[in-house]
Amino acid sequence: MTATVTPLLQVEDLSVAFRKPGGRLLPVVDKVNLTVGVDRAHGVVGESGSGKTMLCRTLIGTLRRHGAVVTGGRILLDGQDLARADERAWRKIRGRVIGYVPQSSLASLNPVLSVETQLVEAVTVAGRTSARDARAEALRLLELVRIPRAKQVLGQRSHELSGGMRQRVIIACALAPRPRLLIADEPTTALDVTVEHKILELIGDVRREFGMSLILVSHDLAVVDEVCDEVVVMYAGASVEAGNLERIRPEPRHPYTRALRISRVDSAHPGQDLEAIGGEAPSLGAWPSGCRFWPRCPMAQDDCRPDGQPPLAWFAGRWTACIHADLMERP
Amino acid sequence: MPGPLIEAKDVTVRFGYGSEAIDAVRNASIYVNANEAVGVVGESGSGKTTLARVVVDLVQPTAGQILLDGVPVIHAGSRGGFPRADRWKVQMVFQDPYSSLNPRQRAWESVAEAIQVWQRVPARVARERALELLRSMGITEDQAGRFPRALSGGQRQRVSVARALAPRPQALIADEPTSAIDQSAQAHLLNLLRRIQKERGLALLFISHDLGVIRYLTSRVYVMKAGEIVEWGPTERVFQQPEHPYTRLLLDSVPGRRVVRRTAAVVP
Repeated sequence: MTATVTPLLQVEDLSVAFRKPGGRLLPVVDKVNLTVGVDRAHGVVGESGSGKTMLCRTLIGTLRRHGAVVTGGRILLDGQDLARADERAWRKIRGRVIGYVPQSSLASLNPVLSVETQLVEAVTVAGRTSARDARAEALRLLELVRIPRAKQVLGQRSHELSGGMRQRVIIACALAPRPRLLIADEPTTALDVTVEHKILELIGDVRREFGMSLILVSHDLAVVDEVCDEVVVMYAGASVEAGNLERIRPEPRHPYTRALRISRVDSAHPGQDLEAIGGEAPSLGAWPSGCRFWPRCPMAQDDCRPDGQPPLAWFAGRWTACIHADLMERP
Repeated sequence: MPGPLIEAKDVTVRFGYGSEAIDAVRNASIYVNANEAVGVVGESGSGKTTLARVVVDLVQPTAGQILLDGVPVIHAGSRGGFPRADRWKVQMVFQDPYSSLNPRQRAWESVAEAIQVWQRVPARVARERALELLRSMGITEDQAGRFPRALSGGQRQRVSVARALAPRPQALIADEPTSAIDQSAQAHLLNLLRRIQKERGLALLFISHDLGVIRYLTSRVYVMKAGEIVEWGPTERVFQQPEHPYTRLLLDSVPGRRVVRRTAAVVP
């Protein structure tokens, strides 16, 4: 946490819940903290159900469409608190200041409109160019995301493009208003490994070129590690470890981060079993009391069970929610 | 020395007709011995799933044949497919655990049904054996009583494995069984597959786009690209000294590799 520079985005103790019939609230994000500096790349890692996608939706102000509300905390963007912002305020920010690249590229392009129509729309809505220049800008954006034969692609529709090309078009749309922060939610999950590699490279390059900040969400620590400087690891709605990847990569200080690292197939020893995490991640509404991870944790002790999810504490150069972080060994 | 348990010889699968026709698989030959884990790795569109489906007779080959214990069981163009008496020998686990289980059957029922059909035992015995088999997959009796929608992806996939093992097959074809589930569940499933392959002496054909998984699980590997097998050999050799440029490209694309290089570059 660098105190000298004002961060672009500061999420403090953010809590989000689904609104159930009868006014009951079902928590999905629980007191998450996240600080994204100017021109920094920040990863969010978690498995399905960890709340990472709902965190993204909070940060682009689309919670209400998914039946959820902010129940606590602050989202500071340039000093303005967005946690309680209404739709009118969000419209000035969503897509313009904060760009968004969703997971499913097929579902987020309009199948009946050409690539050009959609890019021109993105460019004109952003208000940066006149309608006349918008077409030239659309072409320039496609070239920026390194689409070969860009002129030809402009006239095509999404079903004519491969998954990787579609994802490039989406990225081009998101870049049109020159956002200061780009949020990419599992942008490569559906892609082949060679394509994934190129898209990650592209995201990293345009980020540096634009001096843009990035939040990259993934279930895969290695993907985040390709592009990001910092990471927050989420488990069952809570942030369990956060900090610089240079610190966390070699020496995780939360048992869940450690488990994510050592359960990867690439860290297997030949002929030996992988270190699997026992049990299953808790489902929404069934979070255990105490530390959320203790029922699956190989180093759980009696004092892990009461007292609710422990808050992040500074330890060994990063933030960790594990109260026994001092007992952990290097993987 | 006995020959391969299952073998695909010069298999071609053509989809479409005339000028629209494309070969999803072209002249592919693979074999798997008993007690051997073999991988097929490739990206989407490489034909790896189609090839697997030919081996279990879900897709008719346009050319070539499938041999079981050296005996041809599927010929291109011939109807009928796998002889009924041999079908139990080769079973399959599918990619998507959400669509491959009957949503109206409890987990144990899916397995017990297969046991009842293949082992020809009364329903009561089938239920006991199903629960026992599921237990060995790490599925508790409580979980076995649930419908698929109430199980996690990893649990569902373990139920699918149990069902595939119900006929006590000699060969198991697994098509991307871990690609739709969380990483923590993936390790569990891979450990399980490795264990049952060894314990049962299964011929395992493992299809995946994930090089790490292939390296962990298999001793021999085929690399497919655009319908053709471009490289094959012992897994470690292929990973350490890839001969085909495409294999090298695949290996270089694995996330995390660059990090190693990046970090190394930072240190003077």
